[in-house]
Order: sequence, then structure tokens, then C-alpha cells
Amino acid sequence: MIDFSRVQKELQECTRDTEASGIKVSPKSDNLARLIGTIPGPIGTPYEGGTFQIDISLPGMKNEDVGMVINLCGVIGGFLFADGYPFEPPKMQFATKVWHPNISSQSGAICLDILKDQWSPALTLKTALLSVQALLSAPQPDDPQDAVVAQQYIRDYQTFIGTARYWTETFAKTSSLGVEEKVQKLVEMGFAEARVRSALEAVGGDENLALEKLCSV
Amino acid sequence: MEETDFDSDRAAEDYYYSSADDATRDGAVSEDADWNFDSMEEEDLLDSEHAESHKGSDRSYRILKKEDVRQRQEDAIAEVSTVLSVPRPAATILLHRFNWSVSQVHEGWFADEDGVRKSVGFLDHTRPFSDIDASDRITCGICLDPYPPAEIFPAGCGHPFCRECWGGYIRTSINDGPGCLTLRCPEPSCRAAVDRDMIDKLAPSEDEKKKYSEYLLRSYIDENKKIKWCPGPDCECAAEFDAGGGDSWDVSCPCYYSFCWNCLEDAHRPVDCQTVANWISKNKDQSETQLWILARTKPCPKCQRPIEKNMGCMHMTCNPSCGHEFCWTCLGDWNNHNSCNGYNGTDAMEVDKHRKKANKYVAKYAHYYERWAANDLLRQLALATLHRMQTEQLTRLSSVQGKAENDLWFITEAWAQIVDCRRALKWTYVYGYYLSENEGAKRRLFEFLKGEAETGLERLQECADKELQQFLDDDGPSKYFEEFNAKLKGLTAVTRTYFEKLIKALENGLSEVQTTGTSGEED
Ligand SMILES: [Zn+2]
Ligand SMILES: [Zn+2]
Ligand SMILES: [Zn+2]
Ligand SMILES: [Zn+2]
Repeated sequence: MIDFSRVQKELQECTRDTEASGIKVSPKSDNLARLIGTIPGPIGTPYEGGTFQIDISLPGMKNEDVGMVINLCGVIGGFLFADGYPFEPPKMQFATKVWHPNISSQSGAICLDILKDQWSPALTLKTALLSVQALLSAPQPDDPQDAVVAQQYIRDYQTFIGTARYWTETFAKTSSLGVEEKVQKLVEMGFAEARVRSALEAVGGDENLALEKLCSV
Repeated sequence: MEETDFDSDRAAEDYYYSSADDATRDGAVSEDADWNFDSMEEEDLLDSEHAESHKGSDRSYRILKKEDVRQRQEDAIAEVSTVLSVPRPAATILLHRFNWSVSQVHEGWFADEDGVRKSVGFLDHTRPFSDIDASDRITCGICLDPYPPAEIFPAGCGHPFCRECWGGYIRTSINDGPGCLTLRCPEPSCRAAVDRDMIDKLAPSEDEKKKYSEYLLRSYIDENKKIKWCPGPDCECAAEFDAGGGDSWDVSCPCYYSFCWNCLEDAHRPVDCQTVANWISKNKDQSETQLWILARTKPCPKCQRPIEKNMGCMHMTCNPSCGHEFCWTCLGDWNNHNSCNGYNGTDAMEVDKHRKKANKYVAKYAHYYERWAANDLLRQLALATLHRMQTEQLTRLSSVQGKAENDLWFITEAWAQIVDCRRALKWTYVYGYYLSENEGAKRRLFEFLKGEAETGLERLQECADKELQQFLDDDGPSKYFEEFNAKLKGLTAVTRTYFEKLIKALENGLSEVQTTGTSGEED
């Protein structure tokens, strides 16, 4: 089960030094099991100037999982034992499209050891996001998540840099528009206002992602 | 030998017996290269008083119960703990790191104590907590809640975690598998080892402790080159082989499962481990199925897809995607086909050669496979009968015939012999399959010895089965029972001798016939 009291403490701690770190974590809805992390693209990389959003979901026991959990862990003393977050690593994937050898250009899945077997409960969402940010600065093409990107990185580095920068410009630059202006812009394109609002909310306010979401239905 | 024209190298290899293979088969017990006693340490040869020893003519193994294995493990831990004067949990970590070899621990430790300490996560000295705040409270590094110092448990490194968080950490790690045996402090930058004492103190329930100690026991066997678990279903025994064992790896476990200690397959005298491995992979092999196809089909001359002939007419039409029409006999194009001259084209001859070989090959394989499988089934049935004897029949017989159950052991022995014989017989078919076709004299001797042994076995089984049934069905003691007793004992002994003779002869590669010259080539 998710330790929500710890998640709450983490959120407070994170908010306190957002100024310094540039890293933000906010709940996606009332449920603290789903959050959105935001990291600035590291300076001196093709991701510089971009703001990257990362979907976070905390493992725990969802209602539909109860049956499975009973089978896996057994029922001991009437308690269901499934140690979710922070004993299990948070699931993170890029919501913003990004061109990087260790991040899937399709799904946004991240290949990072601390999100898998190297996770420790003494790590936090903030430290994990800092590691993701460090990964943007230091790609590891030998252990790729996206083979196409990794090939390009190894064989044609200049094109890689160009593509990564283009993707940052296209997908990771949040416009200076306020929420209402974004809504209006999308409504003018012909989408229903209610759908526009929920799409924007679902992707954390990014108008490009919202547009993609609206078009993909 | 003819040139092979099978597509698959593997099939070709199976179809022809290379002379190198024959050499191995003739000396049926081959040396197993991966077995190396040199790597074993003196102190690992310690005898266990709990162990049941089987030092016989050609056996030199011991059956160890789970408790025996645990005792060995505890002894090793005690020794390392004494010699290095470290606590037992630390000794356990060291032994796990050095594959449970006491001498390797000593060697490693005395050569580079600091390096070893570092690699397993031992600390030079215990560090105090770093951040006790003004209210005399310490914040747990996982749940981030403040606790009084007494409720915080560091792994000696000073990183503070509360009991509940330790519980979750340990449980998650144990549920993840044997990696929990090298658990470290949760703080990522810290490599401090979490030892067995910590696990026992902080594991949330007995369940985790049990799993942990099970992993520890498993790791002892897995790392030990001389002990293996019995692969028998639900069996918790292990078998230990001593250096300089006899010429057989066969182990008879008290669970009545007999297995080869070397390859862990069903005990398989008189064939060697490699032959068993070949046979098993052959049985699984898809190429066998492909050979069936080859034997019954011809490739379409246009698209090469195999076409099965299932109607009387020679006019063949390939699958709709190809649609080629051809003559089954000469493989000529049907449209330019006036009269068929039979095997006129070289293509047709090639295909026919394929088919004949494949047919012969498949028939031979099928012949041996069927008998191998049949004897395995008979072995399983005999094993079931043996269990039934022990659980109910002997009690009944004892009351009907007025004999003490202790005096009826000869029936159990007869059935145990039948099980053994069926197992050996099953493998003689694999032996026969791999015996070269050119060795006519060997083949005849083999068939003769096998026939003798089989006849003996049939007689024994008849007596142990049908004749015994009459005595079970009697209303009271029969005056013929003593006679039956003697007969069954006699048949058991005779059959055992036949089979020993057969197995020895096959293991010697039927070398008797070699002195009689090359009469084998006459077939
Ligand atoms: Zn805690
Ligand atoms: Zn530590
Ligand atoms: Zn067993
Ligand atoms: Zn074997």
C-alpha cells in the first residue's frame, strides 16, 4: 500500500525548494497515486529551454489488484501485505515527447536503473526526477530504450543533436499563454470546450499534448 | 557412406553415425569433462553422522536430509566465526560471498581483509546517528516521520530507519528472491550489509524469516559442487557424491526416485549422460516432424512447398497461392505431360532418394521410441504397484496368510527390482538406437542379452503380479505360500543377475565380440 503520508511530506519538501531545483511535483487529481513531475531541460544540452513533463504513478494496491495480491503475498494475520511505494519504485514515463537514446520516442518509457532494480526506499520522487534530468545530460547509448535514436546517436551525432533540439522546440516549449487563452485557441480549432478543458487538465496544461490527445480520440 | 542430401545438418548428423560417435558409444560410460574433484576442499569432505551412507561396490554417495544439510551449513558458519573471530551472522555473509567454501573464506580474508570487508559491506566501526534534532527526535529516512532514538534501528552505519520501514524494506527484498541474502542499508550511497540478525530482529513476520533461511539453505547446495537436491517430486533429500566414486552416477533416493547425480535425469545405466541428452533433445526436436513430412511428401517443383499425396491420381495441384500442376511420379509439368516414363529426371531421383532414406530413418526412430516410451510407462506402473504394496497389499497379505509383515519384504524387493529393470530396459532401447547398423555381431549379442533379460523380467513380473494375487485372494493361509516365497526370491535374484550382465556388457561396449573378428559385416 502506498505510504500517502510520506508522499505528502515529499510534496511539501519539493514545493519548498522548487526555486532552487526547478523540479516540480504535483498531484494529477485528488488521488496522490498519480502525479505529474516537471523538469527543466539541462543547460548546455539539446533539451535546454524545454520543460519536460513526466507521468508518475505510484505502485500500491488498486482495487482490481486485490485478488492478485492475495495470491502473491498470502493473507497473514488478516492483513494484505503488498508494500507499494516507497518500497517499490515509482513508475515514470515522459508525457512530453523527447528524442533521447534511453527514452522511447513512442511511449516515453525511461530506461534508468534506479527506477528498476536499483531503487531504494530512501530515494524520493525528487531524487528520482533529478536522476532523470541527469540522464538527459548524459545519454547512455549502450543501454538503449529506443534503438533508432541510439543508432543515430552513435552513427550521426550531429543529426541526433538537431533532431533532439527540434523535438524540444516542438514539444517541450510551453507557450506563454494562460490557461484560458489555450482553451480559447483549441476551441477555435473546433473542439468542444469541455473536452478541451479535460484534455488540458489531463496533460498538465501543455497545449501541444492536449491537441494531440484531442486528435487521437 | 553416401553423401548426405538432407537440408538440415542436424538430421544428417542423426541419420548417419560418425565414427567418432561410435567410439564414444562403444565405451558407453564416457568421462564427463565438467566433473572436477580437484576443486573440492578437504574440509568439505567432513562426514556427517546424520547422513545415511551408501558406500557399496559401485556407489559412493550419501543421502542427506534437509536437517543434515542445515547442520553442515551451521558447522561451516561456526568454523569461520571461530577462526576469524567474527560474529556468526558476519561469518554467514562471508561464506555466502565465497561460495560456502571455508577455505576460500580464510584465504580471501587473510590475503586482503580490508578488501573483503568492503566488498561485503562490513563497517570499520559503528557510526552514531548524524542528525538528532532539538526535540531529541530522529527522522526515519523512509517514512520521513520523527522517532525517539530507541525506535530507530541503524545497520551500524548510522542511517536511521524505523521498525515499520525496515519491515517493508526486508519483506520487499525477500519477496523479490535470493538477492535478499546480500541486502544492504537502504541509503543508496551506503553499502553496509544487513545481516541475518537484523533480518531476524526486523522482519515483519515468521514467514519472511522462513523464506530467508530457505534461500540461505538453497544457496549452500547451489554453490556446493558435491551436493545436489534429489529431483524427485516433493522430495527434500539431497545426495552427496564423494571423490573417487565408482563408475556410476546413479542415486537411489529413499523417496524411490532413482536419478543420475551427474545430469539429474532419470537413472540411465547402461547409456551415458551425453547419449541421454542427445536422445531427449531428439525427442523434442522439430526436425523429427519435418522428417515425417519428408517421408510422405514431395516438394512442389515450382515453390518447393511439401505436398502430401492423398488421392489416387498422379495429377497434383499445389496450394492455391502457387497453383502449379505437376505429375507426382516424374514431377514434370502436367500441362506438357503426355506419358510418364517413371523416374526419368534427376530431380525425381533425388526426391525419391530423400524419401527412402527418410522413411527408413523415421521407421527406425519410431521403433525404438515406442519401446522406450512403453518401458517407461511400465516402470511408472510398477512404481505405483510398489507403493500400493507398501501401503495396503502387504498388510492384507499378512492377515490372510498369517505372516508377520516383516517377513514379506521379499515382495517389496521383487517390485523394486521390477522398477529398476524397466528403467534399465528403457535405456537399452536408446542404446540400441545408437548402436551402429554395421556392427552385426554386436547387434546380435545385444539382442540376445536383452532377450534373456526381458524373458527373466516377464517371469518375475508374472510371479509378483498374478501368482501373488492368488495368495491375496485366499480365504486363509495357503500351504503353497512358502514355495511362492522361495520362487519369487529366486526369480528376483536371477533377474537381477541377467540385468547386471546386460548392463555391464553394454557399458563395456559389447567388447566380447571384438575378439571374434569382423564377422559383423556379413549383414
Ligand atoms: Zn520509517
Ligand atoms: Zn547505511
Ligand atoms: Zn528423493
Ligand atoms: Zn546422467
